Amino acid sequence: MSAFALTACVTGPARLPENPQHELTSVAFFPQDTHQCGPAALATMLVSTGVDTTPEQLVPEVYIPAKRGSLQVEMLAAARRHGRIPLRLAPDFSALRTELEAGNPVLVLQDLGALGIRRWHYAVAIGYDPAREVLILRSGKKRRHLEREWYFLRTWQAGENWAVTITPAGRIPATATAAGYIRAVAGSESHLPTADIDATYAAALQRWPDEPLVLLASANHDYATGRLEAARTSYRHLLELQPDHLAAHNNLANLLIDQGCAAGAQAHARRALELAEKEPALAPAVRETAERAGQMTVRPASAGARCD
Amino acid sequence: MRFKQMIAAITAASFLSLGMHTTASAGVIGTPEYLSAADRAGQIARIESTLSRADVQAQLVALGVNPADATQRIASLNDAELNLMTEKLDQLPAGGDGFLAVIGIVFIVLLILEITGVTDIFKKV
Repeated sequence: MSAFALTACVTGPARLPENPQHELTSVAFFPQDTHQCGPAALATMLVSTGVDTTPEQLVPEVYIPAKRGSLQVEMLAAARRHGRIPLRLAPDFSALRTELEAGNPVLVLQDLGALGIRRWHYAVAIGYDPAREVLILRSGKKRRHLEREWYFLRTWQAGENWAVTITPAGRIPATATAAGYIRAVAGSESHLPTADIDATYAAALQRWPDEPLVLLASANHDYATGRLEAARTSYRHLLELQPDHLAAHNNLANLLIDQGCAAGAQAHARRALELAEKEPALAPAVRETAERAGQMTVRPASAGARCD
Repeated sequence: MRFKQMIAAITAASFLSLGMHTTASAGVIGTPEYLSAADRAGQIARIESTLSRADVQAQLVALGVNPADATQRIASLNDAELNLMTEKLDQLPAGGDGFLAVIGIVFIVLLILEITGVTDIFKKV
């Protein structure tokens, strides 16, 4: 009898017709094998962004046999390895709902245990019906698992409302902040082809045209891929917004060294050196820049239009 | 003992190169460096990350992960994540299924009911 009672509350509302208005019906589904909801939920997320994979292929990437489960950090790392950008959402239900409305499935961690025994479980939220306050999930062996909002919130709280979107390059989650998104992108950059990083920063600049961190990251990417003019424009724009931006002064100085513009390089290196006094972690790089700039000789004749 | 330390040192050294970020030239502050300098936790994590990588890999292998897979898995963790795994791999939630745990709970509940005399399922022999 009690076994029935335990499962009954997990099952939730019995019927709710499939409705594309409230639900991402096209999200793939992989029923999980024993203990392996991590690989199954991750496959659901990755395949929905166009990655060709299966839970079986993800087992060696995220599953820990002795723990009979998968860690959150490893789920994120695996998404990055597959060239996708995982982003932890703000820990509230409204952020989760906003992402679903924007068409992004959301990976969640729930504690389905009882009586103080933890039972951690990954599922993928694919929809929400506001009229009935029901969340729709791809979960375990159920392709379309309906869960009452209050029950979901209770199970979700135990894992500190952990919710993650996994998006392809160029598609920014609806609730992303500039700082959070740039951090996420920086983590995935080494696994992304240049064209994907281009698309990502183009989208980020469109959404946050005057955000210092976005400008810096995008300029750094342009610089690293040899697009010096584009990088120089972004660094300058950033310095108009934040005249005391240490990294912008420093990196612009490096760029001007590469372009042979001694006067500009030395001016920016000097400013960076002053600012570095408050930023010991960045000081070694700045000193190196100043040294390189100092070795250049200023020749007025060479200071043509290119160095303005 | 010596041998183990040597292996650890070699593994740590091989991970050194994995942690490096490529930048256009030596003095440039790359985005990851800038971000990790921005928060103190990031700075500490950076310093410790080289040693942690070898350490976490050994732990994963001890938990049944194939050594080659473990190396790959660790390579894509960032410094803060690595730090988290070094410090509390035991406590971190591992999302699995836990179905056996539920059966266990049900059994305990039945047992308590039985002992307290509410039911007598187990006496019908």
